[in-house]
Amino acid sequence: MGLTIVGVNHRTAPIDLRERFYLSPEEIPAALDSLLDEEAVEECALLSTCNRTECYLWSAPAAPGEDAAARLLAERAGLEASRVGRYLYRWRDAEAVLHLFRVAGGLDSMVVGEPQIQGQVEEAYRTAREGRPGAVGHVLHRLFQSALSAGGRVRSQTAVGEGAASVPAAAVQLVLKVFGSLEGRRALVIGAGEMGEAILHGLLDRGVGEAVVTSRTLERSRETAARLGEDRVRAAPYLDVPEELRSVDVVLTSTSAPHPVVTTEALESARGGDRRDLVIVDIALPRDVEPAVGDLPGVFLYNIDDLQAVVQATEEARQAEGREAEVLLREDADVFVSWLMARQAVPLIREIRRSAEETRVEAMEEALEGIEGLSEAERERILGASRLLVHRLLHAPTVALRALAGEPGGADHLEIARRLFALDGPAGNGAKIDEGTDEDDDERG
Amino acid sequence: MRPVPLAVGEARPLLAVIFALHLAALAGYVAAWGFLARAFRSGGGLQESVGWWTAVGAVLVHTLGLAWFVARYRTFPLVGLGPASSSLALAIALLTLGAAVRQERRPTALFVLPVVVVLTGLAVLVGLQPVLLQSTFRGPWFVLHVATVFVGCAGLILASAAAAMYVLQFRALKRKRFGSVFRFFPSLDVLDRLNRLGLLVGFPGLTVGLIAGWSWTLTYGRGLALGDPQVAFGVVTWLAYLVAIGVRMSPDWRGERAAFVSTGAFVVSVLTFLVLRVVIVGPESVFL
Repeated sequence: MGLTIVGVNHRTAPIDLRERFYLSPEEIPAALDSLLDEEAVEECALLSTCNRTECYLWSAPAAPGEDAAARLLAERAGLEASRVGRYLYRWRDAEAVLHLFRVAGGLDSMVVGEPQIQGQVEEAYRTAREGRPGAVGHVLHRLFQSALSAGGRVRSQTAVGEGAASVPAAAVQLVLKVFGSLEGRRALVIGAGEMGEAILHGLLDRGVGEAVVTSRTLERSRETAARLGEDRVRAAPYLDVPEELRSVDVVLTSTSAPHPVVTTEALESARGGDRRDLVIVDIALPRDVEPAVGDLPGVFLYNIDDLQAVVQATEEARQAEGREAEVLLREDADVFVSWLMARQAVPLIREIRRSAEETRVEAMEEALEGIEGLSEAERERILGASRLLVHRLLHAPTVALRALAGEPGGADHLEIARRLFALDGPAGNGAKIDEGTDEDDDERG
Repeated sequence: MRPVPLAVGEARPLLAVIFALHLAALAGYVAAWGFLARAFRSGGGLQESVGWWTAVGAVLVHTLGLAWFVARYRTFPLVGLGPASSSLALAIALLTLGAAVRQERRPTALFVLPVVVVLTGLAVLVGLQPVLLQSTFRGPWFVLHVATVFVGCAGLILASAAAAMYVLQFRALKRKRFGSVFRFFPSLDVLDRLNRLGLLVGFPGLTVGLIAGWSWTLTYGRGLALGDPQVAFGVVTWLAYLVAIGVRMSPDWRGERAAFVSTGAFVVSVLTFLVLRVVIVGPESVFL
């Protein structure tokens, strides 16, 4: 085979180095050009995200083209070729296939099961295909399609993508576990901050009907509300907090106040004996909400440690599910590898057919020369029969060769076949594998 | 007035088919529960869907089994421990599947299926022989009485399952335990709605069933028959759920307290049944 992956990811390089390897979508076509300039490289694609930059190469087996990829990445990062090697990993053939399948399935991600990588792999495929026509041929096309399909399969058949894997997502999940749907619910945000805004974004995405933002100054509240850019968000003076507490369903607090801004007494007074459910997410340090507030009837209080605990529980559950997902990915990767190995038979099959055709033509010419009085139609009929005979005789060996090539020891099987058909040179080596056509696939049947 | 077993010449081969269908349904329910239990451990995923569709398949087979019973014996499987257990199990399963068509509600089956398994298993164990009713038991009043009581029981079991899950999820959220219960169980709001739905279906069903039963006993001059174990069971269960509904309607007793009372109503109902069935009536009775 000739599949190679050369890359760098969050395990092999720190973020300051990964930034240097990063290629924007606009830069990728030029990078693909430089890889395709290498004679050995027949197909290539590039995946570049904040956590990884990887080159996918399909090249002649004798010259895998990984040096070209390593040079490209070294140049990109501004490192000497001799120094870049310590950050790079290289996967070949079956291991390369499994690696891409694991990447697409989210098992190689920093947060196992994260969903974005599936879209990023798809984007890498599309950029290579559309940004540099010819970069993606039959092999990489099928590799990426299979990887994306396998990624989708593990997400639908396992719980590897379930749960909240970030602090804002954990906050949203907690709120949803109480209310189910957020349609028409009201949220109060006390204090503005990056994390608070991220959580509020999540709540708005889930359908919160109205959000009220308050902070030290009304001006700042208005800025935050404007930044969120939603009609459903409005700013309110800080003094309105007790009034708002009466009717809201969710409270997010993230002030820098040195003392609690929501006390048990204040909340009890605001709710006036109401037992409606209220979720309070306090992400401030020091905490904005008195811990005893969580003991009030109907009140669910969570702080930043609780959100981290949700994330931790999700990660543990995903790790456990990852083992099941790995089994599914391996199954799919094995199917692809079998197909790839079977393709090795294509040059040999073409050679066998070419040889058989030459023999047929030669034999038929000799035979027909000795027969006189044949009309053109009779002659054509005899030639047609000879073509059909050769085709039928070769059909079974062709199917068998494809199957044998996909089995362990496929190269040996091809070599034996080459000898049986008295063809010169070793099987698979040096012969450029054609891109393959639909016709090839049909022939497999 | 105790029903007597129906003597039917072709009963043996027919029973074999009905028994086989029930056995297949039982296996389906057990398998479905197994898948859901695995989903509970892992937090969802394919196991949940497989469990759900396995339960749907089991319900179809179960329905076929009872339809076969009705078609061949021309009587409803409402009397006799085996047929009645089977009908009640199917009513519970059907209501649960109907109420939980929305995916978020499906985990409720984790709590309901064990009840369905026990009832179907009981039917398979004691046999599904048809029972001939005395003439006074026949007629639309009797069918209405038993059918609505079964619907009532099914609704109340669904309500109780949702309530029990509500209590567990509530505690997980309050005590900040983010394990399997937190991940797999639906939200408090969804469980609360399911509890309400179960009560809305179950309580009127039980009420109509009791009224139909009394109408029938009055018709035959037996009065309210409060000393009859079946009537006593119905009345106690009806009262228990009346309290549960009353608590739900009170603004001060909503949420966890209401869920507790719903679960308690189910426990009271089951204990009443066991006491009447085993201690007072005796194991040979056809009283379900």
